[in-house]
Amino acid sequence: MASVELKSITKSFGAVEVIKGLNLSVAEGSFCALLGPSGCGKSTLLRMIAGLEEVTSGKITIGDRDVTHEMPAKRRVAMVFQNYALYPHLTVEQNICFSLSLAGVSKAEQKTKGGQVARLLQLESLMDRRPAQLSGGQRQRVAIGRALVRDPEVFLFDEPLSNLDALLRVQMRLELAKLHNELKTTMIYVTHDQVEAMTLADKIVVLDKGVISQMGSPLDLYNAPANRFVAGFIGSPAMNFVPATLRKTAGGLEAELTGGTKFRLGDRAAPSFDGTRRVEIGVRPEHVQLGHADQALITGRVSVIEQLGNTTYVYADTASGPMIVEADQSVRLSPGDTIGLNIDTDRAHVFDETGMAWPSVRSAT
Amino acid sequence: MSDTEQSRPARRFTIGGALLTLLTILAAVIWFIPIYWAIVTSLRADQATVTEFTLWPSEPTLAGYIFGITNSKLPIWYLNSTITSVVITFVAVFTAASTGYAISQLRFPGRRLLWWIILASFMIPVPALIVNHFVIVANTNMLNTYQGIILPMLLTPVTVIVYKGFFDGLPKEYREAAVMDGASEYQLFYRVFLPMNWGVTTAMAIITFIGAWNSFLWPFLAVQSEEMMTVTVGITAVQDAFGVAYGRVLSGAVMASLPVALAYLLFQRRVTQAIALSAGIKG
Repeated sequence: MASVELKSITKSFGAVEVIKGLNLSVAEGSFCALLGPSGCGKSTLLRMIAGLEEVTSGKITIGDRDVTHEMPAKRRVAMVFQNYALYPHLTVEQNICFSLSLAGVSKAEQKTKGGQVARLLQLESLMDRRPAQLSGGQRQRVAIGRALVRDPEVFLFDEPLSNLDALLRVQMRLELAKLHNELKTTMIYVTHDQVEAMTLADKIVVLDKGVISQMGSPLDLYNAPANRFVAGFIGSPAMNFVPATLRKTAGGLEAELTGGTKFRLGDRAAPSFDGTRRVEIGVRPEHVQLGHADQALITGRVSVIEQLGNTTYVYADTASGPMIVEADQSVRLSPGDTIGLNIDTDRAHVFDETGMAWPSVRSAT
Repeated sequence: MSDTEQSRPARRFTIGGALLTLLTILAAVIWFIPIYWAIVTSLRADQATVTEFTLWPSEPTLAGYIFGITNSKLPIWYLNSTITSVVITFVAVFTAASTGYAISQLRFPGRRLLWWIILASFMIPVPALIVNHFVIVANTNMLNTYQGIILPMLLTPVTVIVYKGFFDGLPKEYREAAVMDGASEYQLFYRVFLPMNWGVTTAMAIITFIGAWNSFLWPFLAVQSEEMMTVTVGITAVQDAFGVAYGRVLSGAVMASLPVALAYLLFQRRVTQAIALSAGIKG
C-alpha cells in the first residue's frame, strides 16, 4: 500500500478546464471517496491517477514515486470499472489471471494466485464460467478479483456499484468494507452516491465543478458542511434550506424567516456586519420536530408522508418554503393536515450569499 | 388476456399476407429452377441434354463428371482455387481486421485521411480498376502466377469498414482495463479485440472465401495457362474445347460451386450475419 499525493492538478479538454488546480493527499491504507454530481470531474481525477488521462499540469505521486507521466501498468494501481470490463471471451479464471498471463507468469503460478483471489472473493465454484453466465454481483467480484491479483499499492474504483440493484449494492458495499479491513490497501472510490461514500470511506472529498468543495471525515462533512453545496449533497433526505434575514442583537444572532417567525441562533463564527444580512438557514430533517401548530416556530401543511417502517418523513409546505421532517414511526398524519415545526436552532446551519457556512461554535469544536 | 397472448398476437389470415407468401414462394421457385436444371442436366447423357426435358433424367449418368475429372485439369483448377481462396481469405481478413483496429483504436497522424481513402476506395467498382491491375501485374511479371491472382483481390475495404464499426462499438473500458493490466498494442489486438469479435471474423472469412472462390473476371484476365486456372475460369475452357456440351459444362459448374454451397450450408448463420453486417455498407 502507498499514499497518493496530487499537487496543483489541472486538466483541460480543449478550452474547458474540468479540474482546476487540485491538491489532495490520500494517506496510506485509507479509504478515500471522491464524491460529487455528474460532471464534477471525479472520474477524470481517478483516471488521471490511473494514468488513463494525462494531466494538463501538476504532479501525481504514489508512495515516493512521481508517476505523473508513468504508463498505467507501471503505476502499481488497479482499477475496477463501472461496467466491470470483463472480457466476454475469457472464463472467470482467465479474466482474473489476465494481467499475470500478459506478464508471462507461469501457468502454475497463475493458478495459485488466481485460486487465492477466488477463495477471498468466494469465486471458486465459478472459475470456469464466462462473464455472461454470472450475476451482476458475481461479475463485480470478478472485476475486483482481477484488480486484486495484481497486488496493487492502490485500488481505484469508478462507481463500481452503480450497475447493481439496491439490495445487491448494500451487500457489495459491506463486502468492499470487509475487503478494505482485511487488505488495508489504499482505496480511492468514485461515487455520486453519498450513502456509499459515508458508509465506506474514512475520508470524503466532495468535488464541485473541478474544485474540492470540502474534504474530511464523513461525520465532519455531515455535521459541519463548509458550504451550501456540501450541506445539500451530504445527507438523505437532503437538508432543508429556508431564506432568512439575520441581525445582531444584544443576545446574539437573530434570524427572521419569511412570514415573520423569529428565533435566536446559537453562537457561531459569524463575520462582523451592520444592520441585517440575507442568509439561508439549513436544518437537517432530524433536527426539525413536529409540534402543535399554535405553539411551534413555523406552521405548515403536510403534502406527502413517507413511511419507511423505522422512521417517517413528513414533507410540509410552509410560508418559508417546503420542509422535510424526520419523525417517529408512530406519527399519524395525513396530507393536508396542519402541523407545527420546531427547529433545533443550535444545530441550524447558516449560509451567506456566497454559499459559505458560518459554522456554529458547537459544530466547530 | 394472458401475457403470452398479449406478447404474441394470433396470426390472422389476410389476403395481402397470402399474396406476399405466394409471391415469395414463386420467387424461390424461379430462383431454384436454374440450379435444379443445372444439376439434372449434368446427370444426363450428352444427347439427352437437348432432347429430354423431363424433371429427372430417364438414364442418369455421371459421365459428365467423370469426363471433367479425367479429361480436363479440374483437379489442378480445384487446387488453384483452394490455394488462392484460402490465401485471400486469411490475408484479406487479417489485414482488414488490423486496419480496422488501427483506424478505430489508435491515434496517429493521417488516420482520418486513411479512413477517407478506404471509404472512397470501395466506391470505385472493381471493373473500373481491372485494366490498371492488369497493367501492373503484367509489368511485374506476375501474370499466370498465384500472386498475380491473389494480390489485387486482397483489397477489401468493406471488411475494413465492418471491423472498424465493431471496434468503435466496444466500450472503451475493455481497452483501458487491458492497458492497466499491462497489455501492449499487439496483445490488445490479438488477445482482447480480435477474440472478442470472433463471430465477425468467422462471418467475414466465409464471405471473403465465397467471393474469392466465385470470382471470375480477374482470374480470367490474370491467367492464360491452363495449369494456373481457377475452377471458375477452367470450366469455360471445357466449353471452348468441346463445343456446347451442356452435360460436361454443367457438371463442371456443379463441381465448381460445390465448396461454396458446402460452406454456405455449414455456416449458413454466419453467412447471413456477414451479409447483414455489410449490407448497409454495400448499399
